[in-house]
Amino acid sequence: MAMISKVGLVLIGVVLSFRSASAQTATLLPLTTKSAKAHRLLEQAWDLGIDQVEQEKAIRVLRKALKADPNFAMAHEILAQISLEPSEQVSERQKATATKRNASLAEQAIIDWFQNAADHNLIPAITNMNDALRQYPHDRWVVYLSSNWLAKQTQYDRAAAIYEHSGMTDSPGLMNNTAYTYASIRQFDKAFILMDKYVAALPKDANPQDSYAEILRMDGRFEKAIEHYKAALTINPGFYSSQFGIADTYSLMGDQVRARQEYDLGFRKFSLPELHRIQWRTREAITYVRDGNITAADAAFQAIADHAHTKKMSQVEADTYRQMAMYQPHSHQALLFLAKAEAALHEGSNAMPGLIQQELAQILRARVELALRIADEQTAEANLAELAALSDNSNDKLIETAYHGAAGALLFSGQDYKDAVLHLEEDIHNPLSLKLLVIAYRQMGDISESKQVGDTLADLNDPTLEQAIVVPAFRKCIQNAACDSIIKTASLQH
Amino acid sequence: MQNGRTIALAMWMIAVSSLVHAKQLAIVTDTANTTTNVSAVDLIKIINVKIHNWPDGKPVTVIMRDPGASDMQLVLHRILNMTSEQARAFVQAHKSGIMVADSDDAVLRFVSSNPGAIGIVDLYSLTKNVNVLKIDGKLPVEHGYLLSGN
Repeated sequence: MAMISKVGLVLIGVVLSFRSASAQTATLLPLTTKSAKAHRLLEQAWDLGIDQVEQEKAIRVLRKALKADPNFAMAHEILAQISLEPSEQVSERQKATATKRNASLAEQAIIDWFQNAADHNLIPAITNMNDALRQYPHDRWVVYLSSNWLAKQTQYDRAAAIYEHSGMTDSPGLMNNTAYTYASIRQFDKAFILMDKYVAALPKDANPQDSYAEILRMDGRFEKAIEHYKAALTINPGFYSSQFGIADTYSLMGDQVRARQEYDLGFRKFSLPELHRIQWRTREAITYVRDGNITAADAAFQAIADHAHTKKMSQVEADTYRQMAMYQPHSHQALLFLAKAEAALHEGSNAMPGLIQQELAQILRARVELALRIADEQTAEANLAELAALSDNSNDKLIETAYHGAAGALLFSGQDYKDAVLHLEEDIHNPLSLKLLVIAYRQMGDISESKQVGDTLADLNDPTLEQAIVVPAFRKCIQNAACDSIIKTASLQH
Repeated sequence: MQNGRTIALAMWMIAVSSLVHAKQLAIVTDTANTTTNVSAVDLIKIINVKIHNWPDGKPVTVIMRDPGASDMQLVLHRILNMTSEQARAFVQAHKSGIMVADSDDAVLRFVSSNPGAIGIVDLYSLTKNVNVLKIDGKLPVEHGYLLSGN
């Protein structure tokens, strides 16, 4: 197998591996394709997808690359990851695995890594990742995929370290990615340093302003965030995520009427890919939850579920029904929605098996929480046992955290705070668990921990349903003298 | 999903503060070691230098990072049952059986090239050059695993 640079192609009639720059060949991941055009298009997909975050354009470019070389395994893998169509995610993952024998060992390790992750085989996934990282710690694809995946595994420090040690600190896409990693652990000083560099590197692109806005919003600086979203739209009026970013921000600020106006403007103005449309339709539906208007929320969520059903997007449909169950004031209604969620999941259309298992875990968790709400401990225990079995057989971080959240809630309800904390601490990304932790620490007399978790919870500014259900009420409680004294004293400094 | 401000891959994540994230530590041996599972009781004895040989007779060498380091709190509390200072003194007193390395990479290098070695590393440091031991039949990430938590 010949290794050649893209500036001096030598056709030898067999599968070739293209690299980017001859001086750096030893440090760059070989991208195995018989087509120079396909290789060039994959590099273009980086510029569009990772640097500029023009995801749809990047997807179109990747599809062209795969027309030029249908056996380009890494292009299949990248498309599987960034596609906005569930059916394409599934088929491209299969094609990546089917064509990997054409690829270099490092590319095979990357494809195996994501296949193992999708199959819930975490340990082989980690060793595959480290295998690729050990060989190519300075390759932007390897650095990006590793740091991004680790951040999703909540390994933020490790994700940031990979970027810092990569020597790729001038890569706009990596700056952007790492800024989010730092923001996720609320190291906003580091995040904004990277954002300043990102804006300076791509002053004519919209995404740096959009990212800046989102990180400002995570930091609770809403007005500034809206300014940056508007700056992004001035640079590129077609950059729709900034329009929806403005809407999300108004929703977090508590102005649901304005938020819905902005969502509506976005839906009228832009033609969106399916998953993005569903994402922001869901956010729009959440505005009604924030308003406490359950009827309107139900109508909005139901429309999303119906749409997902029509499009045969089973996991999306199931997740929508699960969310509907979460905010229902009446338990019998919540149970009906959870049954619908499970029914949708059983259809299993256009969803990777791993995603179906993860959704099932979320549904079981919701069942445990619902049973506890109506003091049905027996049902809670039965669902927790099912979730424990799923966790035992899956080796999946998301499923495991769902189990811990549910187990913590059950122990908490039995006032076994010490054991509850052990589980809830494993689920610190979920506002539902954070709220229980605030109280559990307080009940155990650990005021300092209680305050720290209370601060974290009160500072959460993510436009999710869990945030909508927990955080505004928690903030109000802190301000209200008549509110739960345990919660109130847990966060005295607010 | 992270909105598309970084390219959207699979699922959303939310912001958290500087709360400590749950850790999982893996127990590793060289790939020639035929032991695949160890009971928590035996693991505690091995790390406390009370078991000196593997079932096949090879001598055990323990290697880990500074047991007083914050990353090793799980080992302190669940295996050694000591304070940081006590653990450091214990290691000093058992230099022939316990080695301290300055990084997970160093632990992994040592274990992969020294038959009989047993090391403790962060789950996310794992490489193909070592075997991962189950504890009481459980791998890291499975619930109930001994070396998981805050």
